[in-house]
Amino acid sequence: MTNRVLRGVGVAPGIVVGAAHVIQWDFPEISRGQIERSEVAVELARLEEALDAVRRSLEDLRERTRQRAGEEDAKIFDAQIMMLLDPEFRAGVETLIRENQLSAERAFEFKTLEMRALWSQSTSYVLRQRVADLGGIQVRVLNHLLGRALATPIRPEGDNRPTIVFTRELTPGLTVQLERESVAALASVEGARTAHAAILSRSLGIPCVMGVVGGLERIRDGMDVIVDGTHGLVILEPTAEEVEAAYAGERLRHELGTKLDEAAGQLAMTTDGRTIELRGNVDLPEEIEPTVNHGATGVGLLRTEFLVLGRTHLPSEDEQSDYFGSVARQFAGKPVLVRSYDLGGDKFPAAFQTGPEANPFLGWRAIRVCLDQPEIFRRQLRAILRARRHGDLRLMIPMVSFIEEIDCTRDLVAQCAAGLAEEGIDAASDIPLGVMIETPAAAILIDQIVARCDFVSVGTNDLTQYTLAIDRGNARLADRFSPHHPAVVQLLERVVDAAHRGGIEASVCGEMASDPLSAFLLIGLGYRVLSVSPPSLSLIRWIIRQVDANGAVVAAEAALLASSTAEVEAILEQALAQYVDLQLLKGGRLPALVGAARLLGSPDRHP
Amino acid sequence: MIERTVVIRNRLGLHARPAADFVKTASRFVSDITLGKDGSWVNGKSIMGVMTLAAECGSEVTVRADGSDAEQAVEDLVTCLMKEYVER
Repeated sequence: MTNRVLRGVGVAPGIVVGAAHVIQWDFPEISRGQIERSEVAVELARLEEALDAVRRSLEDLRERTRQRAGEEDAKIFDAQIMMLLDPEFRAGVETLIRENQLSAERAFEFKTLEMRALWSQSTSYVLRQRVADLGGIQVRVLNHLLGRALATPIRPEGDNRPTIVFTRELTPGLTVQLERESVAALASVEGARTAHAAILSRSLGIPCVMGVVGGLERIRDGMDVIVDGTHGLVILEPTAEEVEAAYAGERLRHELGTKLDEAAGQLAMTTDGRTIELRGNVDLPEEIEPTVNHGATGVGLLRTEFLVLGRTHLPSEDEQSDYFGSVARQFAGKPVLVRSYDLGGDKFPAAFQTGPEANPFLGWRAIRVCLDQPEIFRRQLRAILRARRHGDLRLMIPMVSFIEEIDCTRDLVAQCAAGLAEEGIDAASDIPLGVMIETPAAAILIDQIVARCDFVSVGTNDLTQYTLAIDRGNARLADRFSPHHPAVVQLLERVVDAAHRGGIEASVCGEMASDPLSAFLLIGLGYRVLSVSPPSLSLIRWIIRQVDANGAVVAAEAALLASSTAEVEAILEQALAQYVDLQLLKGGRLPALVGAARLLGSPDRHP
Repeated sequence: MIERTVVIRNRLGLHARPAADFVKTASRFVSDITLGKDGSWVNGKSIMGVMTLAAECGSEVTVRADGSDAEQAVEDLVTCLMKEYVER
């Protein structure tokens, strides 16, 4: 049996059973190469006209993308438009027309091939990814010059099967264009998750598999195929069982999707009546609205780095105060936990750059920087004090490993409040102060910390990284990096117990809370406040509503006795399976939910 | 002629969006602008050229400007290179 199952990378989730349509968006044959000297002016004019026409079509695609997927995705076309209008590139094409007497299409082809060769051989992964953008321009300009329309799939009369397009290289332009042709799914040989076309297919909701190897030549127009963008598979001429399994998988995805939609707006309460506060982590201003709309009971982590990154100067007190005030107002009365600047190493505005550190994760960063540079910190504290008039803003400080850091922060807050009062500026007289538990030192000294602050919040990624001594960015160690390691589980318990004994709130704002298995563990350990990234809010709300808190407690108690990560996970899975269909979670879960969080500049320090 | 050397900080290097910003900024000046890395030099007003340099995070690049507004150009372009971008 020939291999009918082709593997690739699922870049946009969803499973479609349909009819294949191969689009050869390959570069057209050019027959007319050489021109007469007298034709040079005409060719230059043809080139100009073609560039202009293609620019307009790219601008159309840009606008369409903006309407369908938003401004961020639309920007993908800006780079293509700039490439098209590149003065140096164009001058090169014109020189070939003028001096080598090449036709406009031959000259343009020659220059793009030159560029393509250069980029394809590059050792830079990012640059190789951009070859598709180049191809998108090449194909458009050449087809325009040759007076040919771009190939689009045409469904034969009477064939009602969904159309699945196969192509060698998927460009952003092709993706958007195909979406308009109501193509149900896409598959390509080239490309990976970070390709522009991949981002677009996710935003547009078209299932897509890229990097499909071996077999594109066997695909004929009209052939029955399955494209599984959730798992990265293409199945040619599927058997009845495979089609059934595909429909079942897609049903699971929709079923989970519907369940999550239904959970929105419902109380985040376990089946035995324990209410969990579900808050959102907000990185960027545009995440505020989805978080409010979901009905999150506040912001469990308001990051402030975006105010600084990409700028040469630190934001003023007024600017920060305006931002904090607007967030507080949008969450009217609900808590908004502002994390003070988590800057350090190279995550610093240019004006404050320091030399490279050998060990930035163990270096001068976060609260250490704020306390060493009190002028920077003071500006932020004054901004929060002023904005607190508009809502329940609270302050939390990251990467604490010394008790003195809490005392110093309290002193600074008091000084700032006194200063504002003296200056007659309308502001709160104090801010509830919380500590992020991200280092083993903080988890071990938790009783002393609880005695000195108003709440604690666990940043699980850092707590895991520092406890296990595993760099979370190291791909070789990725399978060993888990917050389900028994040492981390025990620290998590230690923190929540101490907080509740001391009568203060303990929350988890790390990525861990966005994972169903982990959320179940956290509920079992006694956490009553979880804060997750906006795309995960529905999933975690739904999980909370399915599980029994007492059952979670029993599972957590067993996990606390485990001696390996695998053992902890086996215990949790077995227990969670009593309440939710794990098959539904695994089969139906959108890959986009996992790790879709935006990455800030390096080294990223998402808790 | 004015030149300055900086280290690229953006995690994914000087790729599509940062390259586009650089070229847009460079195009505002009348000075000739070149960008160099490891001995190769490209026209700073050409997106293809700047992308071809494939300057990754941590690599050293040199901005060179020659013309009446060279000083301001280098200043603005260095700011542009030091920017960090929020990646998706």
